[in-house]
Amino acid sequence: MTAQTSPTFLDGLLTGVPIVLGYFPIAFAFGVAATGQGLSPVEAFALSLIIYAGAAQFLALALVTSGAPLLVAAFTLIAMNLRHVLYGPALMKRAGPGARRRHAWAWAFGLTDEVFGAALGQLARGRRFSEPFMFGLGLAAYASWLSGTALGAYAGGGALADWPVLEAALGFMLPALFLALLLSILSRAQLPVIAVAAGATVLVTLFWSATAGILAGMIAGALAGVLGLRGRHAG
Amino acid sequence: MRAEILTLALIVGAFTWAFRYLPLRADLSRLPEGGRLSRFLAATGPAAIATLFTASALPYLQGSLPLPLILGTGAVLAVFVATRSVVGATMAGSAGYGLTIWMT
Repeated sequence: MTAQTSPTFLDGLLTGVPIVLGYFPIAFAFGVAATGQGLSPVEAFALSLIIYAGAAQFLALALVTSGAPLLVAAFTLIAMNLRHVLYGPALMKRAGPGARRRHAWAWAFGLTDEVFGAALGQLARGRRFSEPFMFGLGLAAYASWLSGTALGAYAGGGALADWPVLEAALGFMLPALFLALLLSILSRAQLPVIAVAAGATVLVTLFWSATAGILAGMIAGALAGVLGLRGRHAG
Repeated sequence: MRAEILTLALIVGAFTWAFRYLPLRADLSRLPEGGRLSRFLAATGPAAIATLFTASALPYLQGSLPLPLILGTGAVLAVFVATRSVVGATMAGSAGYGLTIWMT
């Protein structure tokens, strides 16, 4: 694939392979945890089908099982997903002025953290933006998330209890994927952005909450880009 | 299926979709190159991914010496530098982490 040709749906599916590998075990763990905490397999699957945001789904389990009021739980989960407002403009900025987004209402549903990271990584490597590519990338990730949840819910709570090493290895898949995605878009100009984002995440998580830490890290890192990337190309 | 779980999923799902889609409609073509908003958006990607890595790795730092975290992270770095493959690096990191736990 060169920078002159538009990436296809199949290109998107293939680019989604690492996300598929990363999502499946996490979604499996979600399905196991959900049924282990009293949700039916259908309820576990519905959370993945409709919300489709991993961290928020795990938090939803905690809120539902703790008996939190519906509106409190909804507000908490919405606040947790607020970071997603940054992804679309960042992606379109990188895609350039000619990028089509006629069907964005559909593929944007799948613009998760990892899909955003993978798409950005491809653009950083010189690939053009295309909607079929976004559909392929998003569908691969979504299918993996749904099938993992279904299998985990079917296996039931405690399915991995006899395999602690496997459970630990699967659990580390997500940090490993984020680190690999970070390496794929890394450049010297972005090091201050990354350092500030990581530092803010640690501090705010330690002194406030994990959700606040994620929002603080993203905003602090982006603001560091405003201050530190003057006259340099950040992408 | 309990109605409150379906309602919760629908409310959160609708907002999440709106967060992902509506900002995509913004017309960024007239943003001045090198302007503040351009720089903010250009830095958002690396900042977001660095944040998510940090947030997902932080729980592994609690308790005793995080040797599995160190070796798992090292495996990701080594395989990515050698192959430039996101797939390979992710798998190596997971395997490195699991093997370290198995051996210790």
